Amino acid sequence: MNAGLRAVSRPDWSGRSSRALRRSRPQRLGERPKTTVDWADLIGRVAAHGDRDAFKFLFEHFAPRVKGFLVKTGMQPDAAEEIAQSTLVAVWRKAGQFDPSSAGAAAWIFTIARNLRIDAARRAARQSRADQPTEPDDGLDAVESPETTMARRDDVTRVTAALSRLSEEQSTVIRLSFIEERPHAEIASALGIPLGTVKSRIRLAMSKLRDLLDEPR
Amino acid sequence: MTINHHPPEDLLADFATGSLDEADHLVVAVHAAQCPRCSRFIQAMEHLAGAALEEARPIALSGTFKAIMARIDEGPAEPSAAAPVPAGLPDEDLPDILRRCHFGKRRRVAPGVKLQPIILPGAGQSRAFLLWSAPGTKMLQHSHTGTELTCVLKGSFAHEGGHYGPGDFDFGDGEVDHQPLVGGGEPCLALVAMSGDLKLHGWLGRLITPFVRL
Ligand SMILES: [Zn+2]
Repeated sequence: MNAGLRAVSRPDWSGRSSRALRRSRPQRLGERPKTTVDWADLIGRVAAHGDRDAFKFLFEHFAPRVKGFLVKTGMQPDAAEEIAQSTLVAVWRKAGQFDPSSAGAAAWIFTIARNLRIDAARRAARQSRADQPTEPDDGLDAVESPETTMARRDDVTRVTAALSRLSEEQSTVIRLSFIEERPHAEIASALGIPLGTVKSRIRLAMSKLRDLLDEPR
Repeated sequence: MTINHHPPEDLLADFATGSLDEADHLVVAVHAAQCPRCSRFIQAMEHLAGAALEEARPIALSGTFKAIMARIDEGPAEPSAAAPVPAGLPDEDLPDILRRCHFGKRRRVAPGVKLQPIILPGAGQSRAFLLWSAPGTKMLQHSHTGTELTCVLKGSFAHEGGHYGPGDFDFGDGEVDHQPLVGGGEPCLALVAMSGDLKLHGWLGRLITPFVRL
């Protein structure tokens, strides 16, 4: 299968050749990534010519992680399974919208899963109120103007720079609190700090991130 | 446009992870769409979330790759044909996000004040609406146990917290007891999301309460 992948080379994706695939083999469930796979390159292949082998790599890596991530944030396994499947279907369908210079494949896949989770929650809330119009989407799929795209690429540099200067401790506390949505008591024991300081630790990390993002380059 | 007032960071973080109530989500989205500073913060959160996703402990799917490919080959399940035409769109130069919303009936709720609800069937306990206020109007003086999120779309208002013009975001929680005054020579148009128990003071509040229904 790898040989087949390697043979495919797209001129319009030439900056990102099949290096990635030579560097690594597909990861098995539960395996820690040994090498960095160029996921953006694989998404590009799916976008460019519906490359099923490239998509299989993406599926095998990300689908179980999306499910694991959702379960960790408190979702029932059945619901998480459904969203993980739909997320990968959307990765296939929206591959052309992925911008390789953006924050990265994992962040992009996260936003897809997040939007599907929002949709599912709203659908559930709507079910008791039949005959209501469907809600609008939040515009994340809207086509961007070139100016917006440029501004966003500029942002990626700033965002990456800011995040790299955030301390490990601070990004951990943000992750536990907002992304994994853990209760403060759990965060306290995970970090080995008193419950009373969790709140101020979170607030401090958030304003630090804001400050780093505000700094002129 | 200079934006001086932004949502608090935790609200932006909850927006980025998709944990906000639909009405609150809408107001933050409208602000972020015109605020590069906040959209960078949201991107940073998405970046951190991506890293967390990458490191999440994988749970094997019951659906196989073959089954997913079959689903893909079937084509889109729901005929994502013509999106429903938004109803009741007010005759205003609204941000794109709002142009896709469904609106209820606009009503005059007090002298110089009009309110138009936004229909969000998936919303939890918060409600979103557009609020037009004539220059010089003293808006609801109130305090409440929930939150109140406002994004100015046009015109301006001021309260103890400062002056709020187009794009500015005002966050009120239980500790706030504001009495905003609409300024300038033009009416103020604001997008508002409200939740919680509202206690209104003054004549305008008493007039508006039955319409806001909170
Ligand atoms: Zn802002």
